[in-house]
Amino acid sequence: MTTLLQQLANGIALGATIGLIALGYTMVYGIIQLINFAHGEVFMVGAFGGLAVHRWVLPESFRENWYVSLPLMLLGGMAVAVAIALIMERFAYRPLRNAPRLAPLITALGVSIVLQEAIRIWFPNADSAQPFPKAFVDSQITIIGLGPDGPEGDVSIRASQLLLVVVSIILSVLLQSYINRSKMGRAMRATAQDPDTARLMGVNPDRVIVLTFVLGAALAGVAGVLYGVDITNVDNAIGFQNGIFAFTAAVLGGIGSLRGAVIGAFIIGLIKTLGGQYMWGGTQYDYVWIFVVLILVLVFRPQGLFGEAERVRA
Amino acid sequence: MTILNRFSGSGALGRHLKPAHAKPLTAAGGVLAVVAALLPWVTFLLGDGAYPAKATLQFFDAPFAVEGYRLHVLLLGLAALVVTFVAKTPGRGRVLRALGWGVFAISLISAVFITGRGGGLGAITAADGVTAFGSIVGVVAGLLIVLGAKAGHLDDIPEWSTDLPRWAAYLALVVAFVGVLYLVASMLTAGGTGGASNPYAGPIFLAFLGMAGGLLGALNGLGVVRWISALSEKHRAFSIVVLLVCALALPLTSAGNEYWMTVATTIGVYAATAIGLNIVVGLAGLLDLGYVAFMGIGAFVAANLSGAAAAKVGIDLPFPLAALLAAAIAGVIGAIVGSPTLRVRGDYLAIVTLAFGEIFTKSAQNNIGGLTGGSNAIPGIPNVEVAGTAFNEPITVLGADLPGGVLYYFMIVLVVGAIMAVFANLKNSRIGRAWIAIREDEDAARAMGIKTGKAKILAFLAGATLAGLAGAIFAHKLSTSSYESFKFLESVTLLAAVILGGMGTIPGAVLGASLLFVLPEKLREFDEYRLLVFGLALILIMRFRPQGLMPDRVRRAELAGETAGGKSIEEEEELVVEHEHEAPGPKGGKA
Repeated sequence: MTTLLQQLANGIALGATIGLIALGYTMVYGIIQLINFAHGEVFMVGAFGGLAVHRWVLPESFRENWYVSLPLMLLGGMAVAVAIALIMERFAYRPLRNAPRLAPLITALGVSIVLQEAIRIWFPNADSAQPFPKAFVDSQITIIGLGPDGPEGDVSIRASQLLLVVVSIILSVLLQSYINRSKMGRAMRATAQDPDTARLMGVNPDRVIVLTFVLGAALAGVAGVLYGVDITNVDNAIGFQNGIFAFTAAVLGGIGSLRGAVIGAFIIGLIKTLGGQYMWGGTQYDYVWIFVVLILVLVFRPQGLFGEAERVRA
Repeated sequence: MTILNRFSGSGALGRHLKPAHAKPLTAAGGVLAVVAALLPWVTFLLGDGAYPAKATLQFFDAPFAVEGYRLHVLLLGLAALVVTFVAKTPGRGRVLRALGWGVFAISLISAVFITGRGGGLGAITAADGVTAFGSIVGVVAGLLIVLGAKAGHLDDIPEWSTDLPRWAAYLALVVAFVGVLYLVASMLTAGGTGGASNPYAGPIFLAFLGMAGGLLGALNGLGVVRWISALSEKHRAFSIVVLLVCALALPLTSAGNEYWMTVATTIGVYAATAIGLNIVVGLAGLLDLGYVAFMGIGAFVAANLSGAAAAKVGIDLPFPLAALLAAAIAGVIGAIVGSPTLRVRGDYLAIVTLAFGEIFTKSAQNNIGGLTGGSNAIPGIPNVEVAGTAFNEPITVLGADLPGGVLYYFMIVLVVGAIMAVFANLKNSRIGRAWIAIREDEDAARAMGIKTGKAKILAFLAGATLAGLAGAIFAHKLSTSSYESFKFLESVTLLAAVILGGMGTIPGAVLGASLLFVLPEKLREFDEYRLLVFGLALILIMRFRPQGLMPDRVRRAELAGETAGGKSIEEEEELVVEHEHEAPGPKGGKA
């Protein structure tokens, strides 16, 4: 029972990270039908951006106080992630807007490799995992008395995990209301539905697409920094793995649907932790269960949990 | 930097050019190229390897002893001059353009390398009272020739008659294939083995590629390439035999030592795998991002059935049987993995295959069922043996001493040859046409009575079988089989090989695999940046030449928009790997 609760808590925290990344996947796919493979790397670059701010920008005295350093690191991570996303949209994807669908997919793979390698080569010492500052309250909330086995039966939740979940939920709600209420949000929805008609109605599709990339990258940047704070070390491979998890979450929830992406992410987080705990093979195979779920969803319900059948464009 | 500025300026300049400028420009470029070849290229001594010896001031002692990349610049420049002044050259504009790019590429690569080695622009301009403008003059020469070619008229590639007496056609084919053999052998050995002791390997190889590209481009412009391929279509049996003999003769050339035989064998293995992937992606249009897993399955099956001490299954089968079983098992698993293709299309299929690939890697890494050795791999897979001769031993045939590993090379040549012979006509067969129809429009194909489900599974089965067979050979050749060789990046590299070569064509797949798997050998010195460059290359290929180096004729029209009108967007949308299904989606309406 205790183990189950503990793994539930871990799974939800993981799901919060994945959810923030998945929103970017699902938005971009919704607008230009591109599986932006490099989006996971934007998350990774965001984490390194936050780390860079902590290492080289913040003065010594600021680093001690998390309420000063964390917001600045978040800003730094977002800025780097957004800058990278803008560059990649402008120079890699935009020229291929009307190319066959295979072309941007391969380009995305190329961008992903370039970003991973660029960090490995040029970020100092990043060829091995880098310690990430614990720029948040370093405490745990311990819920006692749930297990019959005394203190070992406690369920403990790190404060940074709670932060991840709270931030993730708040940002998803904000994003949802931005897209539903604002003028640009309406333009985004219009472009997703029918880009040509949207253009006739005076929507500038380039601006909408850029905005989509920027929003997705900002969320991924936040996710990257908070992930680093929680796990306390980062390397250049975190993007690929979490990116694939996030993509799976977006597909599971129904690609194009924001709510679906977030809920899908929590489900994926739980599959990973619970699968690693209870399924055959243990944590060595937790990765595998996610892909099994992905395959099953795509084969039996390709529109995902919340996708609309007609909008599936596979 | 100056080079880049000049380069980017060329586009704006190009608009002001008139046909009258063509001849003076190319003539000037040709003269400059010749001058560049005779000028010194570096202002300092680079050490004592092959490259610097040819690139220092010492050269002034013997001005006409030009060799290496400077010889190539000289020859391309002379060729440009000849073509400029022989008015009747067929396809003159294209020939000149290719020659110009060749001169440009050779000069630029050398200039960048010398600048990097020499610690700045001083290395290619002037330092310590020494001047060396060779590379800069070469770059300018190349650009002038290209500009001149663009100012003139780019005629269509001429068609040459293939109506020749049999002996003449045979002679032409033999000359062409021997030329290809010579080119391949020189390319393999150009610059030697890369590594810390030989940092010149990379640039020399790349400069050689620039030369080869210019030369082949020029031949293509003349219509020779098209003519030879038409001839070989006409005399298919004869060309296959000649090609095979040429390939088998590679150990007799300068590439005939154990190292290059190993490299050539590895290339052959990846070429066979790429041909398989080409069926799945290029013909049937099913994007597979986990393809290398089938090669891995083949390798692990072969490892387990060949009596390796560390393998769990202790069966010791003769190699042909083990290889066949490996291919069959990989094929069956391929069909199983392919079965979701019945329901999933396009991007989603790419993800399903990627997921499968990751499951394979993870399972192999965790030594699933004890079958894969996990991170220890399965070492000690015995060599293939025929009549007591292990395949890694040197042999003597008819008095010629052949290096070790040559038997593996022969084996893979025969395997690839057999695959090419079987699949050469595949495109035109019933199943091949069915695949292409599915690629173009699955719903229409189904409406025409093609059993799309069966055809798609067959594509996966065929592709996976080839990969499994290649994997079995790979395992024996390396004598070890590790999950490390079959990761996601390998799948991407194979896909890149197919795309670089030109999707849908078998020679293209072989060419792409050769380039992508030779380059790392040559660029050892730059190993740190290898993947970075690879990623950049993927982006650039997709941007500037998505149809690949040797595109399929139909696909060329689709991908490069070389059809009559400029309105190729809609057609391009349909082409690829995916199609709308259900009602047209949000972006699906064909405007």
